[in-house]
Amino acid sequence: MKNRLLWVVVFVIVLVLSIGVFSACGSSGAEKEEVSTITITDMAGRVITLDKIPEKIVSLAPSNTEILFALGLGDKIVGVSEFCDYPAAAKEKPKVAGFADANVEKILAAEPDVIFISSTMHVDEVLPALEKYGMTVVVIDPRNLDQVLDSYTIIGSVTGTSEKAARIVDSMSARMKAVTDKTNELTADQKPRVFYVMWHEPLMTVGGDTRIHELIEKAGGTNLFADTIGYPTIDLETLVEANPEVIIAGTGMGEGADAPFTFARNEARLESSEARKNDRIYEINTDLVGRPTERMIDGLEQMARMIHPELFD
Amino acid sequence: MSINETGSVIPDRLKNIRPHWRGRIYAIIGLSIAVIVVAVIATTIGSVKIPVLTTLRILLSQLPFIDFSPDWAGSTETILLDIRLPRIVLAGLIGAALSVAGATYQGLFRNPLADPYLIGAAQGAALGAVIGFLLPIEFSVMGFGLIPILAFSGAIVSVTVVYILARVGKTVPVTTLILAGVALGALWGAIYSYLVIISGDKIHPIIFWIMGSFSMTDWSEVGIVLPYIAAGIIVILLYSRSLNVMQLDEEQAKQLGINVERTKLILLVASTLITAAAVSFVGTIGFVGIIIPHAVRLLWGPDHRFLLPLSVLFGAIFLILADLIARTVMTPTEIPIGIITAICGVPFFLYLLRRRKGIIYF
Repeated sequence: MKNRLLWVVVFVIVLVLSIGVFSACGSSGAEKEEVSTITITDMAGRVITLDKIPEKIVSLAPSNTEILFALGLGDKIVGVSEFCDYPAAAKEKPKVAGFADANVEKILAAEPDVIFISSTMHVDEVLPALEKYGMTVVVIDPRNLDQVLDSYTIIGSVTGTSEKAARIVDSMSARMKAVTDKTNELTADQKPRVFYVMWHEPLMTVGGDTRIHELIEKAGGTNLFADTIGYPTIDLETLVEANPEVIIAGTGMGEGADAPFTFARNEARLESSEARKNDRIYEINTDLVGRPTERMIDGLEQMARMIHPELFD
Repeated sequence: MSINETGSVIPDRLKNIRPHWRGRIYAIIGLSIAVIVVAVIATTIGSVKIPVLTTLRILLSQLPFIDFSPDWAGSTETILLDIRLPRIVLAGLIGAALSVAGATYQGLFRNPLADPYLIGAAQGAALGAVIGFLLPIEFSVMGFGLIPILAFSGAIVSVTVVYILARVGKTVPVTTLILAGVALGALWGAIYSYLVIISGDKIHPIIFWIMGSFSMTDWSEVGIVLPYIAAGIIVILLYSRSLNVMQLDEEQAKQLGINVERTKLILLVASTLITAAAVSFVGTIGFVGIIIPHAVRLLWGPDHRFLLPLSVLFGAIFLILADLIARTVMTPTEIPIGIITAICGVPFFLYLLRRRKGIIYF
């Protein structure tokens, strides 16, 4: 009895080893054909390998959807989030995710070859769920302008559109340089104190680790709340004391969405500020500054004209 | 004494109403002075450093017949008089409103767990406010913006619906009132939770509103809220004696000449109105309405003739201090005041509870 058990164990071990050897042989044999294998490192530091150029793509963030359309991949998109509204064609795509949640069933049913995700919430909650079902997921999470350029490069290599991505990246870098070449020469006291109104009730602005902060600084301004992080709710008295020279309000489309701008122009307690005295209250579309895509360069150029009209008009 | 309202407790309770008036009158005078002192101290502290002397001179120069040659910047005056002062005054008003409304509800329902939000006012207001945040329109009526209007109406509509649902014939039994309130509150809560989830980038302002905040308060808000709260408090104070009698069985209160249903309605309307006005601009600040009346009871006893005015004063002081912490502890950023009322209010309350060794006047 004991003997027979021993034989079974030996047999199983031999079997397992031989399968391992055969499969190793098999994969080395196939390697010759793997010219089209794509290996990249995404923005979460994960190494991802695809064995072919993806034909079906799901994008869970507006910025990724925008980039995919810019790379001419609109036809390959089989699912987007509810907030993907640019370009207009994105609105026609099936909706498979919300702000922080995602409908994993719908995503699986769409059988995508690759899924691009970006917000931290999606990364924490949705990524493990998708990986459990063997989905190929690429994290695109740009924290600054250079990483926005990287996201074009990464998405370009994953989707086999590297050349087009490189052309876009080149044009974005050139436009960025045209702005920073001028603003880099400014001395500290030539950079006006800028207050960015994220929301007005409660009063919210942008901290030093945000992309909008980077845009303000690149456009030749000084962010009043550079010492804070994230999107802090700040004290009105601190703002009045800091005396902003330029106020930029982030506004959206549609009625009521320009409330932060109305606030910046009408709030009585800001009347004594330099910005109000000199009528330097501006509004900027939050889609331009908030979404890490090519349109961010539009945002940068607009901000530069607001902060330094003498240099850019 | 226990919550139990049996005959054996009554003599004890009546005994409690008569003596020791002197101490409570001193308490009212002392707390009235304390409100002003605390308000002035709170004005001298903020994220922008202003010398105490300058602060006092700016404040005094607002009084008639006192003139100082101003040697301070215009922005300093704006900060003190148009940013700090209105929010301190509003914090005081709303602390008073929520505490007295809480004390009234507790007395009316003879339930120690009652607070101004018990019968659906907070959830109704929150639902209204969240709808206001999500509607892509902008307008205002008599100084109320869209969100305050919807929050105010949400609270009023919610309590009215609860009241109508709770009617049994010509009476409104307290138990059905509470149950209908809790049920409808849960329904509103479910709807607004869903709206919060789909609110996208508005989620931060919404959470700030629900936790309560005096950020951005100005004098116009004080002016709008003041009449409702003042009128409501006066009405409630006039009925403090009736509330004492209603601590007996409702049957016995009737025999003692109280029109129970009418008194209940008037007190409900008054406290709902001040609660709705209180939450409309600053959000649903928690804990004040339940903790302050109990703290006052623990310190000065359950007689409503003293409980109600002492709650007004104590609530005002408490919320002014809570707001002071909310705007200075993380300077220059602000945190919602609901977090402070819970973190600071609960330990203080538990301390009082332990000190009295579990003797609760209810």
